[in-house]
Formats: sequence, C-alpha cells, structure tokens
Amino acid sequence: MLEAIKLKKTYGDFEALKGLDLKINAGDIYCLLGANGAGKSTTINLFLNFIDPSEGQAKVNGLDVTTHPLETKKFLAYIPETVMLYGNLTGLENLAYFAKLGGHNEYSDSDLRNFLKHVGLQDGAVEKRVAAYSKGMRQKVGVAIALAKQAKALLLDEPTSGLDPKASNEFSELLKQLQGGGAAILMATHDLFRAKETGTRIGIMREGRLMQQLSTDEVSHADLERIYLEHMH
Amino acid sequence: MYSLIVAHETRTLAKTPSLLWILLLLTAAIAFGAWASSSVFERQSQGATAISNYENGMRTKMHDDLAKYEEKVKASGGKMEFAAVNHAPGEGPPQATNAGAVGSETESFAVLPPTGLAALSIGQSDLNLNYIPVSMKNIIDATKDNEIENPVNLKAGSFDIAFVIIFLLPIFIMAMSYDLLSSEKERGTLAMVMSHPISLRKLMASKLVSRIAILLAVVIAFGVGAVMAVGSELNQAETWARFGFWLGATVLYSIFWFALAVLVNAAGKSSATNGIVLAGSWLAFVVVIPTIVSVVTSTLYPAPSRLDFIAASREAQTAAEFERMKALDQYYYDHLELVPGGEDKANDFLTLSLANNASIEKAIKPLYDEFQNQLNRQEDAVTKFQFVSPAIMMQLAMNEVAGTSADRYENFMKQVFKFHAQWGEFFTGRFLKRDPLTTEEWKQIPTFKYVEEPFSDVLARLMPSLLGLLVVVAALTAFAFSSLRKYRVAAR
Repeated sequence: MLEAIKLKKTYGDFEALKGLDLKINAGDIYCLLGANGAGKSTTINLFLNFIDPSEGQAKVNGLDVTTHPLETKKFLAYIPETVMLYGNLTGLENLAYFAKLGGHNEYSDSDLRNFLKHVGLQDGAVEKRVAAYSKGMRQKVGVAIALAKQAKALLLDEPTSGLDPKASNEFSELLKQLQGGGAAILMATHDLFRAKETGTRIGIMREGRLMQQLSTDEVSHADLERIYLEHMH
Repeated sequence: MYSLIVAHETRTLAKTPSLLWILLLLTAAIAFGAWASSSVFERQSQGATAISNYENGMRTKMHDDLAKYEEKVKASGGKMEFAAVNHAPGEGPPQATNAGAVGSETESFAVLPPTGLAALSIGQSDLNLNYIPVSMKNIIDATKDNEIENPVNLKAGSFDIAFVIIFLLPIFIMAMSYDLLSSEKERGTLAMVMSHPISLRKLMASKLVSRIAILLAVVIAFGVGAVMAVGSELNQAETWARFGFWLGATVLYSIFWFALAVLVNAAGKSSATNGIVLAGSWLAFVVVIPTIVSVVTSTLYPAPSRLDFIAASREAQTAAEFERMKALDQYYYDHLELVPGGEDKANDFLTLSLANNASIEKAIKPLYDEFQNQLNRQEDAVTKFQFVSPAIMMQLAMNEVAGTSADRYENFMKQVFKFHAQWGEFFTGRFLKRDPLTTEEWKQIPTFKYVEEPFSDVLARLMPSLLGLLVVVAALTAFAFSSLRKYRVAAR
C-alpha cells in the first residue's frame, strides 16, 4: 500500500533522505524511530506530496504521489503531532467538513456522531468548539476523520507525543482497530515503548538513512532500546 | 468541492469578528462618501440655479421695462429710440433697448449639468467651475473665477465613493486576504486540508470566491443604494450603463488586490511578512506611482503657471487701456460696417470697453490656448502612463463613468466659447449700429444648453482603462495561481 523506492530528498547540499526503500502492506503498523532530523517527517511529507522528492518514488496503492497527487490522497489519512482543526467550529462540524473534503458526502449527522463516539470523544464534547479541546481529544477527532475517510493508509507523525499514558494507550488501541480493518500505517515516533507495543515492524533511521528494520515479534523492549541506542552513537 | 470549501470559508469568515468590523467600516465609508460627494454636487447645482435665477430675474425686469416702453411708443405713434449707456435712470428709453448694455451687463450662465452618477467620483469638478458667466465681457477672465473652496480639501482630494474604492477598498481586501494561506499554515490546518484530495489552486480559488462574494455583495448593495440615494436620471438607460461600467471596473480592481494577496501568499512567508509586503504594495500602487506619474507628466509638459496667465491678462488690459483710442480705431477698422455716424464714439464707454475686451482676449488667447494644450498633453501622458498602476486606471475610469473627466469639461468649455461668440455676435452688431432692441428680437437672445457628448466618445475613452485593468488582472491572477505550484505545505 505504501512504498518508497530509492526515495531521496535534498535541500541544497543537505541530504534529508538518502535513498529510502520501504514497503508497508495492508495490516502493517510500521514505526519509524529516530532522532530529530533523521528523516522521519520528511518521509511522511513525501508520501503526502507536501514536498517533491529529489530522486526516487513514493507510491500509495501503486500510484506515484507526484504524478497522481489527488488520487493517492483519497487513500491517505494524516495525523500530525497535534491534529489542527478549525477552532471556531465544533468537533462534529470539523469532522463533517473533512469527511466531505475526502469525498464522503454520504454520512448523516448520526453517522458522524457515531464516528466520534467510536473514537471515544465524550458526547458533551461533540458540540463544543474545538478551540476548547485537549490534545488527546484532537487526536481522537483525527482518527475519526481517518475512519470517516475509510483511509487505506495512515501517515502519523509523532501522534502520541505529549499525550498522557492513558490517552496514548487509547490512541494505540484505535490504531490497532484501523490496522484490523486492513489499513497500512506508517507512524514516526520517538516512543520506543509505544512502537514495540503498537507496531508490527520497526525501522530505525539516522541522518536520512534507514539503518535497520525489525519485526516487533522478534525483539524485546530491552533489545529494541539497546539496538536503537547503538545506532544513535 | 468548490461549493463545500466556499461554504466552509464563508461560515468561518462569518464567525470572525474582525471581518464584521471590516465590512461595517466599509459600508460606513461608502455611505459617507456618497453623502459627501452628493453634497458637493448639490452645493454646485444650488449655486448654478441661484445665480441663473438671479440673472434671469435681472433680464426679466429689463424685458418688462422694454415691453412697457414699446407699448408706450406704439400708443404715441413714435419711433423706438436707443438708450445711451450712461443715461440717468428713469429718463428716456430703458436700458433694455441697448443691446450692448443687455449683452455685457447681464450674464447668461453656461451650466455643465452633472451626469446621473456624478456623485460616484468628484474628479476635478471641485477645481473646475461648473457654471461660467457668459456676457460680452472677456470670457477668459470668467474661466479664472472659482468658488471659494477650502484649500485643504483641494489638496487632500475629496472623500467620495471613488476615494473609498481606490484608496480604502484595497486596505479592506488586504485585511481579508493577507493571510489566505499563511494563517492556515501557521495554525496547522493547511496540512490537514491538503492531506485530502484537493489541489492548492482549487483551495485558493474557493477561498477567493467566498471573500470576493462577501466583499462585492457589500460594495454592490451599497453602491446601488448610493446611486438610488444620491444619483439622478435613474430612468435613463445610459445612467445604468455607466453604473454597469463602474461595477465592472470595481470588480476588476478588487480582483487585482485579491490576486496580489494570492501572489504574496504563494511566496510562503509568514502572515506578518505578507501584511507588510501588501501594505508596501498599496503604498506603491496607490500613492507613490500615481505621484511619480503626476510629477513626470508635469515635468515633461510644464503648464504655464496660472500666475503668469493672470499677469499676462493684466498686462494686456493695461496696454489696451493705454491705447484705448488706437484699439477702438483698430476695432472699427476690423468692422467697418459697424462704424456709427456722429461724433459720439469716443464718449461711448461701452464701445471702448468692448474694444478693450476684444484686444485683451486677442492678446491672452494664445497664452490660454497654450495653457490648455499643455493640460491636454499632461492628460494624454497620464492616459498613456495609466497602465503602470491600477489605481490610475481606476481613477480615470471612475471619472469617465461619473462624467467628471477633464475631457468632458473640455467639451463643455468648447461649447461655452462657441456660445460666447454667438452671444457677442447677437448683441455687438445691434449695439454698434445703435439699433434699439425690440421684444421680438429679445426672444432670439441665444441660450446655452449643454449638448452631452455621444456615449460612444465616453466609451472610447473608458475602454483603455477598463481593458488595461482586465489585462493586468488576468495576467496577475494567472501568474499568482501558477506561483502556487512552488508552494510548500510542509516546512523544511
């Protein structure tokens, strides 16, 4: 579903991404680990076609994102570090807008409410302006948007950063539900524990290069931390 | 998709308190502009009516005296006599029998009527007198007369609807659109939106449509309201055709500023930077460039100063008075058929005065013509340079639509000079022959009625400004939207 082929991004002399090869299939939660500036967000931005690759290809559902920018975005959902919504609209109004932007006009008001209920947004919050939402509530609305969009691939850029453990755990559970529904998920994170708990595969990045890929089944928490730190030195 | 984003943007804008303030200020500015300019024209037309009524009243009184005298002569079976200019009141034939006295001591006011939409743009109508007294006296002197106007007003210009549209509307537009993309990028919502299947250009177009719709709804509603409130000749198709062009020019001018905002946003800088760049652009296009064009045109074609003109006119007057006998002889030499019998010519002050006026007019006419020609050259130069700033194109278009352009005034002045010649021709011959005027002849006294220039002439002058605006707006819009290709949703 998500595929990077010799994907490279340079800014002048600086190489942000040095020929990334990556494939994430339906049902995979692929966690990208790495320090700041390792190339995790660059990879996500390239899949979103927010920036142009210098070389190589980023493909979604077999389509190159640079030549099919709109078609590929029909399959994608994006959850950034903080899901930014229109603060003067309610959660429900935001969800309705983004669902329609994704081409889904078929939802009734109760359908949309169900999405928000499903992700755990309290009933009272649905009609409140998003400006008053906590970060956890915003992330939930982000997942609701992905659900409403029926996204086949999710791109998450440190989505649990700053969330308390409970909210973080709830978010992981939602991701697993999406994974169960057959979505391919790419999540950039600093959280080794969350990556091991939630992911199916892990990639460790450093200075724009994918240093090592692991299956979460094959590695313990301690081993993962050791391997990660080895790559960071 | 367009309608979805347009609706969303409109709803978001509607919940933005600052927008309501912007629109409120805009409506207040339009209403005030309409009121202020209508009061200027009301004052002008009241002045024209009052002075015409006064002069007509004077001539009516003379006419009544003449009618009484005619009846008296008819009853006595005598002959109509010619009144001497310097006769004592109450004795002999009335002044009304003397064509020279009627023609030079009463004036007929040539009035330039405002168009139905004059209130939309005052233009230079506050500088040019819209009613010129025409008599046998020197007409060029009359054109120098002006109403007393606050010099600060003349320097600063008028707060009319054209001022609101040209100067203030861009500021309101910039306030609505300086952060079209930058604020969404800064808030993070742009990345959320752009992760959906929508192109940046479509998003931008939808944002523009919602803003243009809101702004123009207000401008059109209040524009129509202003026309209904302070316009005239509303039953004439030409008035509404002029309004249509006003609307077209306003829409194009508004789109120019929105397109400029798109271009500035496409550079991907912060909202604060965009605001500064747009404010600078406003200063450049609305203030600096028009000022430079004005300085350049008046440097290229310097008009003789009005002071020189007045000084030359006085010199001519002094010289004429100095050589009044020579002037009179020259006058009669030119008009041999008018030389009266008897020895009274030297004593006839009015005859001398006419001769003086003719020689003064002859002396200063070349200077006046040169003055007018230089003004015309300046106007032509501004017409050519107008394409460097949409504000200049807009001002010229507004003046044409409102009928306050320099060309319409020139057309009026040509008719005034022609009328002055007719007036002089009618009275001078009768006066110099000392033929007493009759009530029958009185009916043939020329009257002035401004003949409006053909609308096709107005269109011919309007089109370069409108087409210029159209081309500039189309090119800028295309360039701005193509610049969006380079826009990066994500920061590095």
